[in-house]
Amino acid sequence: MSRQGPDDFTPRRYEVRHRTTYTYDDDVTTCYERGFLRPRETPTQRVVSNDVRITPEPDLLDEHTDHFGNHSFYVEVRTPHQVLEVTKSSVVHVAWPEVDLAGLNRWTVESAAEAIRDTGDPVTRATYLLPSPLVEVDEAVKAYAASVLAPEAPLGDAIVALTHAIFTDFAYRSGVTNVRTTLQDLLELRQGVCQDFTHLALGCLRAAGLPGRYVSGYLETSPPPGQQRLEGSDASHAWASVLTPGGDWVDLDPTNDHLADSRYVVTAWGRDFRDVSPLKGVIYTESTTSSLDVGVDVTRLAEL
Amino acid sequence: MSRPASVPAAGALDGYRSLVESQTGPDEWFDAARSVRPDQDLVTTAVESLGLGGLLAARAEARRLVEDDGIRYGLADAVDDVPGDRGRSWVIDPLPVVIGSLEWARLEAGLRQRAQLLQLLHDDVYGERRLVSERVLPAELVLGHSGFVRAVDGIEHQRLVLGATDLARGADGAWTVIADKTSAPSGAGYAMANRRVTSRVLSSVHRGASLERLRGFFHTMANALGDVADAGVDTPRVVVLSPGTGTETAFDQAFLATLLGFPLVEGDDLNVRDGRVWIRSTGRREPVDVVLRRVDAEFCDPLELRSDSQLGLPGLVESARRGGVSLANPLGAGVLENAGLVPYLPAIARRLLGEELDLPSAPTWWCGDASSRSHVLTNLDSLVVKPIARGLVVAARFGWELSAAQRDDLRREIEERPWAWVGQEPIPMSTAPVVTPSGLAPGRFVLRAFGVTDEERHHVMPGGLGRVNTDPSSMLVSSASGALAKDVWVLADDPSGVRGWSAPSPDRARTLVRLQRRTAVAPRVADNLFWVGRYAERAEGTARLLRVADDLAADHAQRPGTPGAATMEVMVQAAAALTGVAPRADQGPVDHLRAMVGTPHLLGTVAHACHRLVVAAESVRDQLSQDIWHILSRLDRTLATPAPADSQLRPQLDTVLESLLAVAGVVHESMVRDQTWGFLDGGIRIERAQHTVSLLRATLALERPPIIDGQVTESVLEACESILTHRRRTASGEGPAWPVQSATSLLLADTGNPRSVAFQVDRLADAMRLTGDDLLVTATATLAASLAGLDLVELCSGDRSALLSTLTNVDESLRAISSELSARHFGRKPRRRVLLGDWSGGVRA
Repeated sequence: MSRQGPDDFTPRRYEVRHRTTYTYDDDVTTCYERGFLRPRETPTQRVVSNDVRITPEPDLLDEHTDHFGNHSFYVEVRTPHQVLEVTKSSVVHVAWPEVDLAGLNRWTVESAAEAIRDTGDPVTRATYLLPSPLVEVDEAVKAYAASVLAPEAPLGDAIVALTHAIFTDFAYRSGVTNVRTTLQDLLELRQGVCQDFTHLALGCLRAAGLPGRYVSGYLETSPPPGQQRLEGSDASHAWASVLTPGGDWVDLDPTNDHLADSRYVVTAWGRDFRDVSPLKGVIYTESTTSSLDVGVDVTRLAEL
Repeated sequence: MSRPASVPAAGALDGYRSLVESQTGPDEWFDAARSVRPDQDLVTTAVESLGLGGLLAARAEARRLVEDDGIRYGLADAVDDVPGDRGRSWVIDPLPVVIGSLEWARLEAGLRQRAQLLQLLHDDVYGERRLVSERVLPAELVLGHSGFVRAVDGIEHQRLVLGATDLARGADGAWTVIADKTSAPSGAGYAMANRRVTSRVLSSVHRGASLERLRGFFHTMANALGDVADAGVDTPRVVVLSPGTGTETAFDQAFLATLLGFPLVEGDDLNVRDGRVWIRSTGRREPVDVVLRRVDAEFCDPLELRSDSQLGLPGLVESARRGGVSLANPLGAGVLENAGLVPYLPAIARRLLGEELDLPSAPTWWCGDASSRSHVLTNLDSLVVKPIARGLVVAARFGWELSAAQRDDLRREIEERPWAWVGQEPIPMSTAPVVTPSGLAPGRFVLRAFGVTDEERHHVMPGGLGRVNTDPSSMLVSSASGALAKDVWVLADDPSGVRGWSAPSPDRARTLVRLQRRTAVAPRVADNLFWVGRYAERAEGTARLLRVADDLAADHAQRPGTPGAATMEVMVQAAAALTGVAPRADQGPVDHLRAMVGTPHLLGTVAHACHRLVVAAESVRDQLSQDIWHILSRLDRTLATPAPADSQLRPQLDTVLESLLAVAGVVHESMVRDQTWGFLDGGIRIERAQHTVSLLRATLALERPPIIDGQVTESVLEACESILTHRRRTASGEGPAWPVQSATSLLLADTGNPRSVAFQVDRLADAMRLTGDDLLVTATATLAASLAGLDLVELCSGDRSALLSTLTNVDESLRAISSELSARHFGRKPRRRVLLGDWSGGVRA
């Protein structure tokens, strides 16, 4: 991915195609799935169209808006199957503004936390400030947070510094961590992937009294110079978002060391990964092994 | 009833009075002036008329009744085949706690207000959350509470049908709330069990008392549950969802289901289709409209809640969200089991009800508030400190019992997550008399009151579950910590004593009838009913056979080489073949037979079959008559004590058989002839048929010298309870003259002999008709026809190899029917797996 520049903030449209395929070695007789199969509307994005395809044909496909405002889907498949394929295709209009860091600097981390405590919406504040299953704020997290988010630091600078610190202090390596990795594991391992870095950023923010939420979505990538884009080679992505005293949220991506721009497409948000796991399921089967294959394509559409 | 002369009747009263004089806090029986409180005459009468001796006898009688009814509490043994610990017996102190009608009316009004308040609070917490956004209620108390279930946020019209409130008396004697039980309150079944036992052991006092009755409350509850079904449902189906027989309050769940007349189900008995809940059954698909939930909320749905739960069913939350099923109580109700709410309830009551909160709680400080926190931290040594939510780590800590180091640890824990803790002033709590061998002793008393809300109002059970500890210096009163149960008698203000149960309107009555109709039989239930039948019959058949062999052993074991000894050997070997219990090298026939009576651990023994009978019966407790439990309990006791080493087995086996016949009688005379009966009787018939076939194979299907053959034949007929018929027929010249032919005819093909294989097959066909399975009816009819066509003279001639092969074929047919029945009706769900999403790893430049 190229470095961030002013061009990255221009409005644009993306088509995001996300295909999940489960393959089993025996019939699955019934399968129940829950997932986020429609991107949410946000101040920075509008959903132009969304299409969900599931094979075998589900007996029931239901959608509701969850506690966090995400579009949550319930899927019930009772046709016996050895392959389940869930494909979501969305066209999204995206336009992220550049964050006014200087404006944010009129607060310090501490004064921002106080302002939010005293005047912010209590539900929002408590939801994203309290520890959550995968963001346990213990002494180790507090110690790391203290080293990167000083109470007296200007808020805008502090957000950038936090993003940079995690980017610098932790190596990006996949396969080392998984859905059960805790922040405590991560602080010892010093390596991980976007989900880990996001959780750590949230731990630091919450330790400093700033509500932080987990954002799940996508990020447009460019193929290495001179190479063609491979189909299905993109991935879903995750980053953090912090509440500021004015009520605005600022999205920061510690995996890539910058704040979000118009290459970022949001699917859902919550307190941590558990709240927005893209697709999870319960199946009835005598099958003992299963394989999961995910293909994601984030394609920038030509302007109309 | 014996009354020791050394303890005069007045001694117990005076002794107790002097004990409570020196203690702190009020007493239920005596006031501060040492006088019996008004309304407590019944307690005085009970104590004075029975004396300590009589009360101790009542206590012993209560224990026996508890044992007989199988009233248990606590965790069952996890190991399937090891008997014994099916939880502790529930312990009931025979003296009830009596509450006057006026005092009760006041308490009732307070509980009614509280139920209304909790409902409105629940609606707000899962709706607009105005109390939080307007800062009447701190957000952390809701959003930081483990009982706040985000997955059900926004589901509307969720009624808290059931409620329970733990209460104790404050220093001024006023009932003070200790805890609200809103999620899946337990204990109403125990309260009814306490009443049944107490009214029997104190029958003279109970008969003369004008009390509120409890039964009507359960009618009200059944109605109230039907009320929460979707409005479009004409005849709502209600089930009681249990986590299984291996849970602490399994008795309470099953007994409640029986009192309500609703089936007791487990997660495996249900599934979700098209966003609705159904009872799994091969017969017909039946939707479930209302689930009385006794599974903790977080375990109810592995798709949306705890993914590691084996108890609930995936799709339940979705079904509730779509309105396809109503849960009582709703899954999010646990957020109200929250000590942190206490300081805010008065303001919430003013806000939501425009009323002052009626029932007080102990003064409580929520540590999420800075000044409250500092109060708690500086007064740790005098406060009860507890988490706002029930967690894995228990519960209240009494500051004054902690060491300095423990207090420091607690302080650190509070500072780490202040919003998760409260400090409370201890409630003095009243004492009530407990019957002990050394006299009446005061114990601290806690009352659990129960309520149900229907469309019109909140109804409070006129009584409750009393619990009393045995150490008045301790504030810990819980069943889990060994408290005793007490019945709670509410004096009737209307002497007819029927206030709790007014006659239902015709509409209501129709609903009741509809609610209590039979529902489809889930595979787990069918399976267990079938095995109740099989194990009961197996135990009986084995016991009969062993009794015959034991008699032979008593007569002939010391006379080797005689025909009698040879017959004994044949019968002992037959028993070994049927039970699969082989003799040890050093075991003579007598000890071998003793081993076959056996222990519950040893497969094939009488004791093992009886143990499995109890396990199977407990899994379908709601389907069986209550009368069965005291019989099973006696059976248990009989088998727990082996026959004395030098005596015959017969006396013990006689007692075992008496119990088993009583079981058969209860089952026969109490069960409706529907599907459930079909499965149970099917089990009896298949087992008896197989037993008889196996016995014939091991005995008469082998040619022996005539003198031995004759004795073996007699023994077999005796073991099959057919010897009288045989003798009568032989004497009158009916049937084949040759004993082996006559016996084979009587035991295999005679459709008039209730012990014959042919008779069993006919009854099996009836049973299969009740299950509605035409295929099995046909299979059974085919077997019946082949039995009718047997040429017994031919079969019993020569070396009897023809008989042996015929018996082998019959046995195979029976096994085929049994396994077909099992495959078609007892099928469990395939294995369940949870697939959590993987981390994508994300995108990095």
